[in-house]
Amino acid sequence: MKRRLGLVCAPVLMASACRNMPGPFAPPVQRQPLEDFRPYRMSAIVDMADEDAKTHFVRDLTSNASATWRWTGQWPTLRVRMRSVENVRYTIDFAIAGAMLAKTGPMTVSFLVNDRVLGRIRYKHEGAQHFEKAVPAGWVTAGEDITVGASVNKPWTPPEGGPPLGIMLTRIGLTQ
Amino acid sequence: MRQAAAALFGAGFTVAACYAAGSLLIDQLRATLRQDERIPLAFILGAACLHLAIFAILALHIAYWPVLAGLLAATILAAIVTGAWRGAHTSIGKPVAPLSDSLRMVFGWCAGIFAVVYLVNAWAPEVSPDGAGYHLGLVARELRVHGFEPLTNDMYAMLSQGVEMLFVPAFAIGRHSAAALVHFAFSVALALAMLAYGRRIGKPWAGAAGALLTFASPVVGADASAAYVDVATAAIVFGAFYWTEVWDEQRHMSLLIPVGLLAGYAYAAKYTAFPIAIYALGLVAWRGRRLRPIGKSLRPVLLVAGCALIMAGPWIARNWIWYQNPVAPFANSIFRNPYVHVMFEHDYSERLRHYGMPSLWPLALEATLRGGYVSGIIGPAFLLLPVALAALRFQAGRRLVLAGALMFSTYFANIGARFLIPSLPFFSLAIGLAFGEAATLLAALMLIHAAASWPPILNHYVNANCWRLVRFPYKAALRITPPEDFLRKNSQGYSAAQMIDQKVPGNEPVFSMDGIPDSYTRHPILLYYESASNETLADTINMGWNAAEQPILSRVFSFPERKARRMRVVQTAEGFYPHQWNVYELRFFYHGAELARKLDWRLQAWPNPWEVQLAFDNSLATRWRSGETASPGMYLDVDFGRDEPVDEVRLIVSGDSELTRLQLESASSTGTWEKIAKNPTVMQHDVPKGIRRMATYELHARGIHYLMVADKSNGAEDFAEDPEAWGLKLIGHTEGERLYQTIW
Repeated sequence: MKRRLGLVCAPVLMASACRNMPGPFAPPVQRQPLEDFRPYRMSAIVDMADEDAKTHFVRDLTSNASATWRWTGQWPTLRVRMRSVENVRYTIDFAIAGAMLAKTGPMTVSFLVNDRVLGRIRYKHEGAQHFEKAVPAGWVTAGEDITVGASVNKPWTPPEGGPPLGIMLTRIGLTQ
Repeated sequence: MRQAAAALFGAGFTVAACYAAGSLLIDQLRATLRQDERIPLAFILGAACLHLAIFAILALHIAYWPVLAGLLAATILAAIVTGAWRGAHTSIGKPVAPLSDSLRMVFGWCAGIFAVVYLVNAWAPEVSPDGAGYHLGLVARELRVHGFEPLTNDMYAMLSQGVEMLFVPAFAIGRHSAAALVHFAFSVALALAMLAYGRRIGKPWAGAAGALLTFASPVVGADASAAYVDVATAAIVFGAFYWTEVWDEQRHMSLLIPVGLLAGYAYAAKYTAFPIAIYALGLVAWRGRRLRPIGKSLRPVLLVAGCALIMAGPWIARNWIWYQNPVAPFANSIFRNPYVHVMFEHDYSERLRHYGMPSLWPLALEATLRGGYVSGIIGPAFLLLPVALAALRFQAGRRLVLAGALMFSTYFANIGARFLIPSLPFFSLAIGLAFGEAATLLAALMLIHAAASWPPILNHYVNANCWRLVRFPYKAALRITPPEDFLRKNSQGYSAAQMIDQKVPGNEPVFSMDGIPDSYTRHPILLYYESASNETLADTINMGWNAAEQPILSRVFSFPERKARRMRVVQTAEGFYPHQWNVYELRFFYHGAELARKLDWRLQAWPNPWEVQLAFDNSLATRWRSGETASPGMYLDVDFGRDEPVDEVRLIVSGDSELTRLQLESASSTGTWEKIAKNPTVMQHDVPKGIRRMATYELHARGIHYLMVADKSNGAEDFAEDPEAWGLKLIGHTEGERLYQTIW
């Protein structure tokens, strides 16, 4: 009887005594060393296609929009924030409507950072436009709200009425 | 409207099949049962049998709609053809006195009104967090792949799913509401069984009072109206108890089969219900203690144990095979495995033992009157529980109190109000029995309890956070209100789940720092705490923003140059909870140059050996963690495969590592360990600049390209302010949840 009990109990005890340990491991694939990491190019760009684009709006962004662009008013302004402010560049992509130019004639767009004019360009032709320029040191502060925007000298009120329109904005913000 | 009908049909079909299966078995047992007790007992016993059949279908990966429907239909047909449906072969025994009109009126009206409220809530689209989350999330997933699959990154998948097995066919036919309605059916069966029990012991008023105390209990109502499993567990437990009574009266060995099956099924439904098996085995052993020879007294016990094993065994075996732990996700320090950290179990258990309550002294009031901490109340009537001791004057009372106490014994492992539900039937009946057959008193008790549990009245005294039924959504139940609208308004996380389906392609997994109702998305949701691998990833992600978890220190052992084939760093301090030993990188140097890691190195660690590579992957965004409180003898061990010259060893650690004490050892040629150095010097260094991006890379490297962060989560602002710094792009934002995609 005792022997039978032993035969039953021994494997149970042996099984429960086994520690579930894996064998040793080889070193894994080595990650890139930190210094070889592609230096991160910080940016704080608001794309009109972004889900949260509206959370950056300050003023003069209309509800007249497609999936990728949005009509602005005369002084479109948005709010962004940067963790560091070395070598910051202002960047904007927008389009000028032919119908608007036909009515207003050539228009001048001023590009603003914290309400200071960074640059000004006169546009005679319709179509997609890109403007990019370094922001002078001291114009922006790290960790604080920064306003980026534009100003249109000749806004256009469409014949069917509504608020005056400026440019068709695609993306705007700061990069490093 | 079609959805509403499908839900009702799915539930009705499943419930009918349960009843049919139970009837078939009861007819074979030749039990003597009255009709009023046969119906609920057949349903509960049939549920146990059907659960096993569905387990087999899932294990065979043949869980297709026709197979499931065929199983249900065949069971029902068999019961009808054999006459088991109407209990043709079940003797009804000696008649008992009919229920009095006054009892019928008080119990009938009160229970009937509550039943309608529960039915409507169960029928409405499922909005309960756990129901729409893991209970049905797992069912939906099993139906998508037509069977079980090992889900090593989901601790909830490791729990037994005895009741969820019944949700499988119901869900396949009528989706979420059908499953909730099946659970509601268990609450009705439980109430009917309790009522029948009262008649069996000749105390119909006590039975009615007990049944109503349980049935109208606010937490029972909320639970029974959702795709949870607690009320079903209570019904199964009470069913097992009931069959012990039937056996004790009739003493046929065959009647121990349902006792064992239900005791085992109780474990399969919920681990914490296992004490009913102890009760059943104990009672059977006690009643047979005088039988000689000894084998004769053991036979009934072995029969109960064997039947219990038939029900519980498949779950135990599944867990042992897949998760290396028969009781996964618990007991991980005994059954060590790579899927659940010991520390997580400790944290989790600790939370469940307190639910944030500063002291457990007010627990009785919290669980009966307030419910803010413990998510629900059982009702103020249960403050009368001490009165139940008066029931000890009856044999039935003694058994009820004993069974209730055994079921209550696991309560302090999780003090959530719904964890009281399995003990409620026993305590409710004991309270009823304490009053003997004092009809007026018991009628008053029933009416007061019903009034106090009525949802609009509850609002006057419970905590605002108390989980309870707050609406009567008949329009949503009938789908007059579109389910989409109802769910968006009432289900936390439903919109986020829908956003995931819209924005994430295919079946790609989404790592989430917040709970998502899994059953409403086709994507696997990897919740940050649900497994060891998820916890490790969450730790890596948190390292990106949380300074306390970043690698800012090196502990350096410098010693005279020596040749070593195998070295290890041993932790020698006795830590205290929740302090773990963490190592981001372990590096070996000779004359200032690091020894390049070679493929023939062999790495080991104790504890948590499975994650040792995290200390050798050259990433400062990952770390090996002991996974339990630091204690002497923990080590990281490297076998170089050959003698290597070494004069310096560095461990990169976080700022909170001052509680660890380290010593460096080298293996001698005889295999013994020789101490080389202790008390390493500490060097401080900057946090790596790209740590956010490195953290995200780990996500990406594991094939996870989507991350969900709730706005309320710690660190959420950091992601939202500058996703690109993390290597992420925001692709969706809804009701406080942001969905990011990795951009590598």
